[in-house]
Amino acid sequence: MSQSIISVENITKSVISNDNELSILKGISFNINAGESVAIMGTSGAGKSTLMSLLAGLDQPTSGKISILGETISTMDDEQRAKMRSESIGFVFQNFLLIPSLNALQNVTLPMVLRGNEDENSNNEKAKALLKEVGLAGRETHLPTQLSGGEQQRVALARAFVTRPKILFADEPTGNLDQKTAQHVIELLFAMNKEQGTTLVLVTHDPNLAKRCQRTLIINDGQCQESA
Amino acid sequence: MKTNKMIVSWSWREIWFGQLWPVMVALTLIIACVVALSTLALRVEKVMSNQGRALLAADLVFRSSNPIPTTLIEQAEQAGLTVSSQSRFQTMAFSDANMQLVTVKSVESNYPLRGELDLRSTTGQPIREVKPGELWVSERLLSLLDANTGDTIAIGDAELKINGVIKYEPELAYNPFNSIPNLFIHGSDLDKTGAVQVGSRVRYRLFINGDLQTLANLQANYELQAGESWVDQNKESRAARLMDKAKQYLSLTILMVILMAAVTLILTCLHYARNRSETVSMLKSMGASRAWLRLWLSTQVLIMFVVAFVAGSSLGLLLEYLLRIPLVDILPKELPSVGVQPFLFAIGVALCIGLPALLIPLTRLLDAPAINVIQKRETQYSKTSWWLLLLPITALITFYGTNKLVWMVLIGLLVLFVLLAGLSYGLLKLLAKLKWSAAFSLALSRINRSPRNSMMQLSALAGSLMLVALIWLIKSDLLGDWQQTLAPDAPNVFAINISPEQQEGYLKQVDTLELPRSDAFAIIRGRITAINDQNTIESEAYQNEEIRILKREINFTWAKELPVYNEVVAGEWTGEKTVSIEQEVASELGITLGDQLTFEVNSQIFSATVNSIRAVEWQSLKPNFVFIFSEDVVADLPATWMVSFRAETDQTPLVNQIAREYPTVTLLDLRTMANKIQGLLKQITFSLTGLAGLGVLAGILLIFTLLRLSLSERKREITLYRTLGASKKRISNTLWAEYGLLAISAGLVAAIAAEIILFSLMTWGFELPTQLHPTMWLVLPLLAVLVVFVSLISVIKELLKPLR
Ligand SMILES: Nc1ncnc2c1ncn2[C@@H]1O[C@H](COP(=O)(O)OP(=O)(O)O)[C@@H](O)[C@H]1O
Ligand SMILES: [Mg+2]
Repeated sequence: MSQSIISVENITKSVISNDNELSILKGISFNINAGESVAIMGTSGAGKSTLMSLLAGLDQPTSGKISILGETISTMDDEQRAKMRSESIGFVFQNFLLIPSLNALQNVTLPMVLRGNEDENSNNEKAKALLKEVGLAGRETHLPTQLSGGEQQRVALARAFVTRPKILFADEPTGNLDQKTAQHVIELLFAMNKEQGTTLVLVTHDPNLAKRCQRTLIINDGQCQESA
Repeated sequence: MKTNKMIVSWSWREIWFGQLWPVMVALTLIIACVVALSTLALRVEKVMSNQGRALLAADLVFRSSNPIPTTLIEQAEQAGLTVSSQSRFQTMAFSDANMQLVTVKSVESNYPLRGELDLRSTTGQPIREVKPGELWVSERLLSLLDANTGDTIAIGDAELKINGVIKYEPELAYNPFNSIPNLFIHGSDLDKTGAVQVGSRVRYRLFINGDLQTLANLQANYELQAGESWVDQNKESRAARLMDKAKQYLSLTILMVILMAAVTLILTCLHYARNRSETVSMLKSMGASRAWLRLWLSTQVLIMFVVAFVAGSSLGLLLEYLLRIPLVDILPKELPSVGVQPFLFAIGVALCIGLPALLIPLTRLLDAPAINVIQKRETQYSKTSWWLLLLPITALITFYGTNKLVWMVLIGLLVLFVLLAGLSYGLLKLLAKLKWSAAFSLALSRINRSPRNSMMQLSALAGSLMLVALIWLIKSDLLGDWQQTLAPDAPNVFAINISPEQQEGYLKQVDTLELPRSDAFAIIRGRITAINDQNTIESEAYQNEEIRILKREINFTWAKELPVYNEVVAGEWTGEKTVSIEQEVASELGITLGDQLTFEVNSQIFSATVNSIRAVEWQSLKPNFVFIFSEDVVADLPATWMVSFRAETDQTPLVNQIAREYPTVTLLDLRTMANKIQGLLKQITFSLTGLAGLGVLAGILLIFTLLRLSLSERKREITLYRTLGASKKRISNTLWAEYGLLAISAGLVAAIAAEIILFSLMTWGFELPTQLHPTMWLVLPLLAVLVVFVSLISVIKELLKPLR
C-alpha cells in the first residue's frame, strides 16, 4: 500500500453566522495517498472550499484531526502552517490571484523567494522553463493586466509547480475561464502533475475534469462520500 | 542578501503600481513645506533681529546717567566683546547768524557697531565713521543755523568746522515732533565743548557686540545701579509685534498644510491597505511568514521615507528660494545660515505623522487571513498599534503647548468636524424631501442610503475646503490690517511751527495745491505735573526708567471732535474742562476715567478731568497726541499749529514751493521713509500670498485625492450598473448629481465653519478686527464644484469602461 499523504479523521467545521451556529462539515474522514489525484465535487455551497482550506492549512477545523505528510497540522499555529505550506503545498485559485505589481516571471519566482531560495539565476531559470512549458515563453516581463484570463491562469500554474510541491490544491481552477481555454489549462495541469508526481486535490463542478482524476469525493449535507 | 534585493525592487514597483505613491507624495509635501517654511521663518527671524540690533546700533546697549564704569568696559573687553561708548547731551550751537538747541552725540570711530551710518561731505561720497576733529550735523540744523558745510560753528566752548551732513544714522527714534536736531562729534573732542561738568545732564551709552552667551553672562554678572539699564532688541516694538503676527501666521499655515497632507496620507494609506489585503492573503497562502511580510512592508515604508525626504528637502529648498524672491530687498545679500534644524524638524514631523498613518493600517494588513484567497472572511485584528498615535500628540503638545492659535484651530476643527458632518447631513436629508429630477433623486437616495460614508466624505470635503479658506482669509485680514496702518494715502509730509497768524493762509495754500491734508492741530508744549493732586515727581512711575513722559515736555492739542482714526476704548468725548488720554500712557501712569490731571504750560497751571481713553496707532503717520483737551481748557494758551499732508514723488516742486513761501514753517519730509516701509509691506504681502497660495494648492490636492479615492471605490458598483445595462449617460448624470450636491453642501458648510473659526482667531488670536466674507460664501461652493468637476473628468472614462 502506498503511503498516506493526507489523512483526515472525523473533522467538523461550524461557523457562527448571524448568531446562528452553522454546521458546514459534520464529521468527515478519508485518506489520500501520495501521487493520487482527487476531485472534490458537490453542489454550490456544499462546503468544498471549506474542506479544501482545512486540508491546506489555511483554516482550522472545529474538531477532528488533519495530518499532512505525517504531521498533524490541525494543532499547528499560523506560522508553523505557513512554513508547511511554503515547503510542501502549491495552490491554483479560481481567480488566479497574481500579484499585480509583479511581472509574469517575478510572479513565478515568488514562491521560491518566500521559501528562502535566494539564488536569483537558478530561480529565473526554473521559472523561465516553466513559463515555456505553459506556452508563455517571451511573455516573462508582462504584467498580469497585460495577460488574458487563460494566460494568467497558466502563469498561476507555473507558479504552483515551481517549488515542486508535494501536494497541489486547486479550487475550481477553470471556473473563470471559457471552455476552450479551460481545456488547455486542464491539459497543462495534468501534464505537469504527472511529470512531477504531485498529489493533486482539486475542487470542481466539471464532471469531465473529475473523470480525469483517480478518485472523486462528493460532499453532501456536511458528509463526504467516495464515488464509485 | 538576494531576497532583500528582490524585496527592494518589488517594493519600488509596489509603490508605483500599487497606488502607494500618493502616500509618498503626501510625505514629500509635508517635508517640503516644513523645510521651506521653517527655513524661511528662521531666516526672516534672524534678519529681523539683525535689523533690531541695527536700530540699537549694537547687540546690547548699556545706558546710564553717569559715566560708564570702567570695570564694566574692562570686563566686556576681557570677555572678548567689542565695545564703543557714546555720550550725549543737549547744548546750544551758535553760527554767525543764529543759535539753536542741539543734541550732541559724541562717539568713537567704531560707531555704530550694528546698523549703518551714512555721512556726506560735499563730495557726496558716503562716509561711515566719525573721526577726531570732525563735526557732522543733521540737514535741518544747517537751515536752522543758516550755515553751510565748511562753516565753523560753536558747540558749547568748542569751535568746529562742519564736515557735512548726516544722511542716515542708526538709533533713529521716529518722532516727527522731536525738533531738536542732532550732530555728531568724536569722543576725543568732548572735553573741548566744556559741556560735561558737574550738574550737566549727560547721558552715557556703552554699545557692546558679541555672541549671545557672552553678552548674557556680562549682563548677569553686573549689578545695575540707580540710573543704569540694559537695552537689547527684545524690547517689544510695533515692528516686533507685526513680525510676531507674521510668524504666527507662518506657523499656523505650516500646521494647516501639514494637517491636510496628513489627511491625504491617512486616506491613501487606508485605501492602500484595503486594496492590498488580497495580496497579503495570497502571500500568506503561499507560505509567507509574518516576519517576511513585515520585512516586505517595512522596506516599502523605508523606501518611501527616504525618497520623500530627499525629494521633499530639495523641493523645500527650491520653494524657500522662490518664496524669498519677493523679499530680496528686505533680506541682506548674505543670508544667515540656518543649519540642519529645518531638516531635522521636517524629518521629525514626517515621522510623527507618517509612522502612525502608515504603520497602523499596515500592521492591520498583516492580520489579513490566508483563507481570504478562497473564502472572503471578516478580518480578526490581533491588535492595532494605536499607541503610535501618541507620537503626533506628544509632538503637538511639546511644540505648540502654549500656542493659543494652534489649539484654537485644532479644537475648533475637531468640534466643527462633528458639527459639519451633522449639518451637511441634515441639509441633504432636507433636500431629499424635495422633488427632483431622476438623476438628483437617485443621487440623493444614494447619499442617504449610506449615511456614515456620506458624512465622512462630506466632513472631509468641508474640512479641507474650510482649511483652504482659512489660510487664504487669515492672510487677507492680516495684510488688510497692515495695509491700513500705512494706507497708500497716508500723510507723508508734516508741517510744524505754523504760527496762528499763518495757519489759515497755510492751509489754504495746501488746499490750492491739491495736496490731501489732515486737520490742523494746535501744538502746545507742556508737562503733566499732578494726577489727582499727587505730584507726578513723587509718583512711582517717575522712578521708572522706561516711562519718560513725566520727565519731559510733550505736545498737547485741543479738538472739537476726536480724530476719527483714534478709537475710543473707554468713556465719551463730552463735557468741559476735560481731556482724552492715550490708553498705553493711561495704563503706565495708572490713570482711569474721571481722574483729575494737572498740567503746566509756560508756568501756567491748569487741570482737566479724564473723559475718555483712546487707542492710537502711532505707526500710522497720522497726527496723534497723548493728551487731547476740550477747547475750553487750552485754546487760549500760546500755540503753534501743525498739519500733515500727502505729496506724491512728482509733487516735490509743490512741496518746495510751500517751503519757500513759508520759510519759518518746518517741513518734515517723510516720503523716503514711508516709501521704504510701504515697499517692505508690499514685499511681505507678496511672500505671504505665495505662501497662502501654496497652502491652498495643498488643500485642493487633498480634495482631489479624496474624490478620486472615493470614486475609485465606486468602481465595482458602477461596473455592476453597467453590466445591468444602465446607460453611460445615466450613470454619469447620477455621479455628477451626487458629487455636485456633495460639493455644494460641503462648500456652504465650510464657509460657515471658516467664518466661525476666523472670527475666533482674529478676535482672540491675532487681536484684530474682523468682518464677514461674503465672497467666500460664493467662492467655496464654486471651488468645490470645480475640483469635483476635475476629479470626475479625470476618472470617469476609467469608471465607465465596460468589463473585460
Ligand atoms: N465564515 C463563514 N461564515 C458564514 N458562512 C460561511 C462561512 N464560510 C462558509 N460559509 C458557508 O458555508 C457554506 C459552504 O461554503 P463553501 O465551502 O464556500 O461552499 P462551496 O462548496 O461552494 O465551495 C456556504 O453556505 C457558505 O455560505
Ligand atoms: Mg467554493
